[in-house]
Parts: sequence; structure tokens; C-alpha cells
Amino acid sequence: MKKFLKYMSPFAPDQSGVCGVFYELGGLIIICDAGGCAGNICGFDEPRWFDKKSAVFSAGLRDMDAIMGRDDKLIQKLSLAYEQLGGKFAVIVSTPVPAIIATDLRSLERMGEKKINVPCIAIDSTGTNYYDKGEEKAWFRLFETFAKESFEKKVGKVGIIGATPIETGFKDAGNLKKYLSEKGYDDAVIYSMGTTLEDVTKAGECEKNIVISLAGLKAAEYLKGKFGTPYEIAYPFIPENILAEAHKYSGKNILIIHSQFAANELRNSIGNTANIKCATWFMQDKDFACDGDIALSGEDDLIELLEKENFELIIADEDTLPLIKSTGYKGDFIDYPEFAVSGRLLG
Amino acid sequence: MTEAFFKTTKEIIDEGYDNLATEFVSNKHLIYSSPATLSFNSPGAKGYGVKRAGLAVPESVMLLVSPSCCGRNTSLFKSSPEYKKRFFFQLLDDTDIVTGRHLMKINDACCEILASLDKRPSAIMICITCVDALLGTDMERICRKVTETHNIPCVACYMYALTREKRLSPMAYVRTSVYSLLEKQKRENRDMNIMGFFSPLNDKSELYTLLKNAGIENIRELARCETFEQYKELSKANFNLVLNPESRHAAQDMQKRLGIPFIEMLRLYQPDKIHNQYKLLADAIGVSFNDSEYLDNTYKKIKEFKERHGSLKFAVGEILNGDAIEIALMLVKEGFKVECVFATIGELNYRFLKTLSELSPDTKVYSNLSPTMLNYKNDDIDCYIGSDCAYYFNDKPGIEWCDDTEPFGYQGVSDLFDALDEVLSK
Repeated sequence: MKKFLKYMSPFAPDQSGVCGVFYELGGLIIICDAGGCAGNICGFDEPRWFDKKSAVFSAGLRDMDAIMGRDDKLIQKLSLAYEQLGGKFAVIVSTPVPAIIATDLRSLERMGEKKINVPCIAIDSTGTNYYDKGEEKAWFRLFETFAKESFEKKVGKVGIIGATPIETGFKDAGNLKKYLSEKGYDDAVIYSMGTTLEDVTKAGECEKNIVISLAGLKAAEYLKGKFGTPYEIAYPFIPENILAEAHKYSGKNILIIHSQFAANELRNSIGNTANIKCATWFMQDKDFACDGDIALSGEDDLIELLEKENFELIIADEDTLPLIKSTGYKGDFIDYPEFAVSGRLLG
Repeated sequence: MTEAFFKTTKEIIDEGYDNLATEFVSNKHLIYSSPATLSFNSPGAKGYGVKRAGLAVPESVMLLVSPSCCGRNTSLFKSSPEYKKRFFFQLLDDTDIVTGRHLMKINDACCEILASLDKRPSAIMICITCVDALLGTDMERICRKVTETHNIPCVACYMYALTREKRLSPMAYVRTSVYSLLEKQKRENRDMNIMGFFSPLNDKSELYTLLKNAGIENIRELARCETFEQYKELSKANFNLVLNPESRHAAQDMQKRLGIPFIEMLRLYQPDKIHNQYKLLADAIGVSFNDSEYLDNTYKKIKEFKERHGSLKFAVGEILNGDAIEIALMLVKEGFKVECVFATIGELNYRFLKTLSELSPDTKVYSNLSPTMLNYKNDDIDCYIGSDCAYYFNDKPGIEWCDDTEPFGYQGVSDLFDALDEVLSK
């Protein structure tokens, strides 16, 4: 049965993806929900919540707010919070409730901006999509709103688009910088991790952007069009121990289940790519897929794949293992934690 | 930037319950789900939310029918032994929500659940969320259909965060749901249930001894039922003792359906009030309790603690097993100072606040939910009680006091001071 999970728990939703992009940039983030969605984001999908403060709030919607469509009340609450805390911008993150009652998010943006006089962005996440869809919208709106001015290009400066704790499994930029340094990128701006809104406004300074997730692609295209900044696709954040273990299986039939760019990077690193298939629970772009790569829409798709193919090694998040074992799979397994699946961090 | 908002107890009482400051009225401002209060603000985030609570029926399984976002944090406890193979998810997409077609698939999902399990569950709990609240889904009808098709009890659990401040909150409703599978049977004179919590009372609580001495033979609690057979015995009770107002509706429902009357008590920490409550309970069930030894020992324990540690200055939070304001009141009455309380003011604890304002007018009251708590700077205290305070005062000694085992009565007070003594003696 499609969309039925017997073995796994639901993955990180789009509203978590939106929040992750804006989290460190100094704005007011309002989850337009009744409380549960904000709880899931802060308590589970945003690992920075416990040691890096950010103004993330729930709108505290109640049934009559939803029934009566009291947008003005939300703007009043936003205004009060802005008076108390300030902020460089405001983001209103939609959830299932506003999606169902068809809240006019554009109107909320206009009302919000008029009231507090700073940019107000409303993102139409729905809670039915996964984090990458939310991140895609957030990355695009972030650069579209704040990266407007052209700057002289700085030699060697590289922008990293797409890195969030959900995407990378790392909750601070320190580890990511280490990986980038090893690849020779010493002057890298990892947008939304360890950087500021000012870094976003100066995006035009970068000589090149590196897009590490499919969710960042539209934003990179925007920056290419706006400032002529070229971009390349890469995923330099795969832990050494996983690479080393995976290399031992070069030449064997392998299935990698991870976000598309990470899985592709791992495949290329292992070599003998013809024997390696990549699958993902999340977005997949055919332009970056090889023959046989698959976008998994649910547990049934993976079961079907494993019944059809004979893999000797599967590289995936350990939370997938009970599902894999249920098919009678007898091959080897390497645990490559994927935060959007299990909520486990790499560092 | 505004500092964390607070009012003193005196200011709050002077202004009156009907004129509470905006920051104390949760629907008038954005809600700060601070790390200190996640379990409180989000009905499913931590602790016993609707999802965990629904599985209080022994040997049952749960089907969560919702967008993926509502079930996301289930990973936190899904792998623990008591919940293994008990959670299933039917995820909704946009088309499901627009057409309501997901409702037609629930029966099939239940079929898959039953086929996948080695042992037939006692019941299927179907948990639905804000989405179905807005769609006006008649989940009772769907549950009846599941029962007819698969010959298994099926109960709806409503994780409606949108209705959190209604008279019947999601946590009150789920308490009714988990007792709804009980069927009428002959009541036994010497049997009773304790209702209110999803984990058992502390075994050492004197409540058990007092009731046993009064002739009660079987004291049952939902949280102690390991099998569905044991669960079914709950309907043998001659009366229910309700220790948490959130269980009142469940008790009323049991009174109506099963003919079991109920008595309400509060979990209090003021020894004199505990004594009064026991007296009222004894009168209600027509016995007498001799609790003087427990009362004396409790006062003795507090006195010894005070002699050892002096008149400490406390912070009291609301994420604990008790009411923050009532515990603050007890501390002040016993000669301690309470510098600040983190609390949500409601009708019930407002009366404690009144007394507290007379005895300690300068005690600050903060609302954990206020966005201004982002800027909270620690007050000067010696010791804290509450898991939210553990976050705010991580450099001070204190206790979280929110274990799964529920403290009650004199034993609860005694254990509280023992726990404080232990941490302050380090």
C-alpha cells in the first residue's frame, strides 16, 4: 500500500527544511501552526535548537483562527514579537493548517511588511512534502529577496548552497569547513551555517557556487542569471570512514540510498559505477541520475527493488535496515546516517 | 531588545484574573517553544503526548493517519522496546486532503497491520490530527467499520493541537479514549482504580497503605496493566479516584457507561492540604484514615532539610510532576524563599497564586511561552525544581522532578526533599 509505513517513521517534512535554511540568519521565524509542527521542528528536526538560540515561534493557531481565517491576528502577534525582539526579516512558514484553509500567503507577506517594515517572506510548505521541497523554496526566496546587489568578484571565494543540518547531518559549520578545506576551498561561505544575512546579500562576490543538494539548484540558477556566477555540483561531506568501508566493495553490486547528490558522490568515489545503483526517498532529477537509479515513493518501492535485484552491499541509514531485512536480504550493509530519515547526526 | 517578561505575584493578583497581562494569555502572542518547554508546548513533542498516551491500552497498536510532519518525532520512542512494532503510519498527500480519499484506505491499512504482526493486537488506535479536525472527519464511523471488518476493537485518538485550549483538550480526550474499551461488568465492593497518569504512582506512596487499611483489596491503575485481560478488570472498580483534572471527562464517561462513580483529588505538596484531602476522601468512602504519622514525618523531614541547608532561594518551573505555583506556595509556607516561578496561570492555580501573593508578593512569575523568554537572564537563586529550570539554571544545583514514576501525597513531599537534599549535599 502506497504511503503506508510499517517499518520506518516519517521523514523530515518541508516546513523543517524551510526553517533550517533561515535558522541562523537573524530573522523572526513563525511556524504558522497550532503548536505540534513547531514542536517537531524545534524538538527533532533542528538540532541547533538546543545550543544556538533563534527566534523560532509557533503562531499558536486555534480552531477558530483557522475557521475564521484570522490573518490580522497573526500579523498582530508578529508585530508584538517584532516590537519585543526586533529582527532583520520575518519568515512565515506554512503547515497543513494554512494549506487546508488556503491562507493567502502573499497577502500575509504584504500585511507583515507593511506592519513591521522589514522584508517578510511566506513559504507555502504543506507538511505533506519532504524537507528538500521546503529547502528548495527557501533557498530560492532567500537569494531572490536578499541577493540583489552586484559586487566585485573575490578571487577564490566560493559559495556553498544547500548545506543544512538536515541535508548534511552536521549541526555546525566547523566540520563542513574542514571537509571544504581538504578540497582546497579555504574561502568558502556555507550559506545558512555559520554565516549571516550579510553573506547572503554579498552572494555576488563569489567566483563560483557549489551546489550540494538538489534543493539548492534553483537558487544557484538564480545567482547564475543575476550575477553570472557559475556553479558546480558536488557533495564533499561524506565521512571518511564510510568512504573507506565502501571502497572495499568496488566492483560489487551496490545500492546506495541517500539524497541524490550525496549518493552520486559516493558512487563516483567507489568507482566501477556501472554496478552501483542510487536510490533516494527524496527529490531526484533525471539530469543527474544514471540508468536504474530510482526515486523511492515508499516502503513498497524498496521492497520491489530488492526482490528484483541482487545487491551484495547496501549503503543506507540504519533505520532502513528492518525494512531491508524483511525482504530476506542477506548481503552486507553500511550505515550511512541520513538525518532526514532517522534524525541521527554525523557530527 | 525587551527583557524577559514577568510580573510579581502581587501585581498579578492586583490586576485580577480577568486582566492577565497579554504575555500570560497564550492566544494573544506567538508561542516560544523553548528547549525548556518543548514537551509542554507541543502535544506530541516529548513526554506523554497523544501518540504515546493512546498506546496505554495494553497490547494495542496505533495507526497515525496524517501528513508526514505530524509523525516525524515518533522516531524518538518508536525503537524503544515497549513501542516496537506498535506504530504504523498512513501518510497523507495533497490529493488525500482535498478529496478525503485517505479515509477509504484506513481499512486496508488496518488489514496490512494485522497481516504484518505475529500476534493479534488487542486494539487498533487510530490517531488523527489537525487535518482531519478541519475536514470534519467522522472517525468514529471509520473505527466502527474497522471493527466490523476485522473483528477488532478500534478507537479514535484525536491529536488536535488546534483545540488545545478547549474544555476537552487533546490530552483529556485521549484519556477518555484509552478507557473506552472497558465493558460493563459486575463491580466489586473492594476494588477501585486510580486515574490520572500514564505511568504508575510511586509504589511507596502512603495512598496505597491508607486505602488497603480501609479495606480496599484491589487498587488498579491503567499504567500497571500489562495485558489486555488485566486492562478489562478496570471496569470491576467500585469507584475511581481521579488525581488529575485531565482525567475528569474519562471518569465521567466511565460513570455514565459503566456506572462507576468517581472522586477527585489533586496532587498537592502542602502537607496540611494533603491531610485535608485525605480527610475528605475518607469521608467520601465512609472510612477513616489515620495519617498523622505520615504528616508528622513529612514536617520532620522538611525541618531537617531546612536545618541542614538553610532558607534557600528557589526557582520553580512548570515542567515537573506537580503545579509550579502550588509547590512555590508550599516552599514559602515552609520558610523558604521563592525568587521566581515559571508557570501558566489558569483558574485552578490562580487560587494558590492568591495565597502566594500574600506570603511572597515579590516572587516573579514568568510565562515560559512568551517570545521574550528568548532573552531570559538568570535570576539569582540557590536551587531549582523543574526540568525547564534545569535548562535556564544549568550552573545551579537542582532537580528536574519529572520522572515517569508519579509522586503523590506525603511520600511525594518527602521524596522531593530527599532529592533536593541529595543534590545539595554533593
